[in-house]
Amino acid sequence: MEWLNWFKSFENTKPVALVIFFTCFCLVLFYLYGSKKRGERLESYRDIPLMDDNQDVKGAKQ
Amino acid sequence: MAAVGTASTEQYNYDIVRKFSIMALFWAVIGMLMGVLIASQLAWPILNLDPWFTFGRLRPIHTGGVIFGFGGCALFATSYYIVQRTCQARLFGSGLASYTFWAWQLIIVLAASSYVLGYSQGKEYAEMEWPIDLLIDVTWVAYIVVFVGTVMKRKQPHIYVANWFYIVFLLAVALLHIGNSLAIPVGLTTMKSYPLFAGTQDAMLQWWYGHNAVGFFLTAAFLGMMYYFVPKQAGRPIYSYRLSIVHFWALSFMYMWAGPHHLHWTALPDWVSSMGATFSIMLLLPSWGGMINGIMTLSGAWDKLRSDPIMRFMIVALSFYGMSTFEGPMMSLKDVNALSHYTDWTVGHVHSGALGWVAMISFGALYHMIPRLWDTKLYSTKLVTVHFWLATIGILLYITAMWISGIMQGLMWRAFDDFGNLQYSFAETVAAMHPFYAMRALGGLVFLGGMLVMVYNCWKTIAQGKAAEAAVAPAAA
Amino acid sequence: MKHDSIERNVGLMIVMMMLAISIGGLVEIIPLFFINETVEKVDGVRPYTPLELRGRDIYVREGCFLCHSQMIRPFRDEQLRYGHYSLAAESQYDHPFQWGSKRTGPDLARVGKKYSNEWQVAHLMDPQAMVPESVMPKYPFLQQTKLDYSDVADRMAALRLTGVPYSANQAELDKNIKQFGADTAKMLHMPDASKNLVDQAQNGFGGIAGNYDGDAANVTEMDALVAYLQVLGTMVDFKKYDNDQFVKYR
Repeated sequence: MEWLNWFKSFENTKPVALVIFFTCFCLVLFYLYGSKKRGERLESYRDIPLMDDNQDVKGAKQ
Repeated sequence: MAAVGTASTEQYNYDIVRKFSIMALFWAVIGMLMGVLIASQLAWPILNLDPWFTFGRLRPIHTGGVIFGFGGCALFATSYYIVQRTCQARLFGSGLASYTFWAWQLIIVLAASSYVLGYSQGKEYAEMEWPIDLLIDVTWVAYIVVFVGTVMKRKQPHIYVANWFYIVFLLAVALLHIGNSLAIPVGLTTMKSYPLFAGTQDAMLQWWYGHNAVGFFLTAAFLGMMYYFVPKQAGRPIYSYRLSIVHFWALSFMYMWAGPHHLHWTALPDWVSSMGATFSIMLLLPSWGGMINGIMTLSGAWDKLRSDPIMRFMIVALSFYGMSTFEGPMMSLKDVNALSHYTDWTVGHVHSGALGWVAMISFGALYHMIPRLWDTKLYSTKLVTVHFWLATIGILLYITAMWISGIMQGLMWRAFDDFGNLQYSFAETVAAMHPFYAMRALGGLVFLGGMLVMVYNCWKTIAQGKAAEAAVAPAAA
Repeated sequence: MKHDSIERNVGLMIVMMMLAISIGGLVEIIPLFFINETVEKVDGVRPYTPLELRGRDIYVREGCFLCHSQMIRPFRDEQLRYGHYSLAAESQYDHPFQWGSKRTGPDLARVGKKYSNEWQVAHLMDPQAMVPESVMPKYPFLQQTKLDYSDVADRMAALRLTGVPYSANQAELDKNIKQFGADTAKMLHMPDASKNLVDQAQNGFGGIAGNYDGDAANVTEMDALVAYLQVLGTMVDFKKYDNDQFVKYR
């Protein structure tokens, strides 16, 4: 388990973690904002909570 | 009206949501009453009645009552409501859902009674002894099956983001609870057990659990609540769906690292606590992502804040969420923590999150949901406004008192006189806290007063709904 | 992988979420069990005797940790007020840890031997009589309640399963004698647990006089709790170590 000591030093782990996490973050951002079409599709899901009113309580709306 | 109500009852399982909503109100009153009592015990120690009703035994009843009783029932109710409506599917396994209801109530009652009788695992927010822990595990698995089962039979192809927050909450709480409750029972016929790990490792495990009970039980799940009820109440979609995705993954990933900030300057190795602090500070971004997303939903319709007290509950909840998620990272800085740790500042911070964010967003959600569940109108909007102001004043009194007493306490502990000796004895610092402890108890009492107004309002609303149903039922038959 | 499939496939979503929420805990918790410096090697730290253990159970039962920490931080004011900062090794047998998170009352990590048994008992009976400003509850029932020590050996056996070196047989006893010395090792021997408990309640142990509660006829919960309080923070002799000895572990 000696190799674990490598991770104890912030000089080692900081840049590694930074690279991994930042890459993941960029991938997520690219996925979400990279394509306009995909963006529009994703944003269309905003309406899901508002859609349920169409099929129940027609009379009891406040 | 009633006919439509019946149809919607057939489409969705509202019965279970109703039960949990009522119990959320019930446990809120009990838990907050306990809070007022123990706050008063700290101001007036004569209120401790040994052996059963001392601060040490009642405090877990307060924390368990509000977190797992009130918060838990509110989460069960809203999650069962939201998952059905956003998936457009009836709840999976109605018998199993019913089991989760009765088992959860039993768990809260058993836990509270066991604390009074002196059974405690000795770890904050995880005081339940092993038989209760096992019951929680079984019930939690049932909860996961009901929720995920419903998601799986959805008619809507996309899983709405509120459900993501509920799913991650379900998973994380299962992981945390099992991890932190590993213990060896003294015997199969006794309640007593000893945690598997000791000292530093036990401390780390406990605050990995403790911080993420806040992160997932009291934050992620309530964000799920927010992502449904704020758009519904505002009548407009959430500000940005893509922002919700970014901050969902960031929050889920980063929260789990933040636990060690509860152990700054302790015997926990420095590298762990630095890591905890780093992630705590980064957590500000996803937290504020959620806050901005919620508040901006109202952009263009700010007048609703004036006209709709339920909306006001939700937006003020989000503001308190933003405030305490700013305060939290600040307190996780080691230098600030050196002052704030062990003091009332921490208690104030927790309550600005618990009362300001968790309770207020739940109030908003319940006020929105209860009339719809009983197919009627809210009995009184005016009383909602009264409740709003009582709650707000109560919180402000509470956290102001704790800020002053906490910072004062921290400064008094570290004050030196001209000769380099400690300036104050510990007893002097205790005496200095007294007025603020009284003020805190008063704040809690005002908040509880608002809660009682809510219970009255909801009770009248439900009675009204039942009366309307009874009047129409014979005609329909 | 497309995020789209995560959004639509709940199974995949659960896997991704488990991944996201597991990493933090794994990185911060697992190494603590393997990195040796996490708990430094110090002489003197020993498991609790049967009476101290029962006292500790009462400490946990009454929720003392909700107002009293047992973790002194390395600051000058805490050094002056409470003593040497706490070491990880000092709570290595603490199941559960009782570091606490709030000081409504003072830290108790080194309260052992600072006050007499009589003071501790009088204070627990009526804290305000000893410290008028105190907001602590009174605990007179501890003095009236006879200590139930029928299952003390079972309790030690449970702790032994977690790794606390209570001895169950001669071989383990011999090992403890080597590590903790004969007097202490004798107290940690499970077959004699009840006898040792009564013996300590009557005659004391480790430099603290017995008959803690002044009631020689009975072994009460007060005896046990005071025995526990009196041992807190006294196991390590800091005179034996340099000032900087422990800094590298923090």
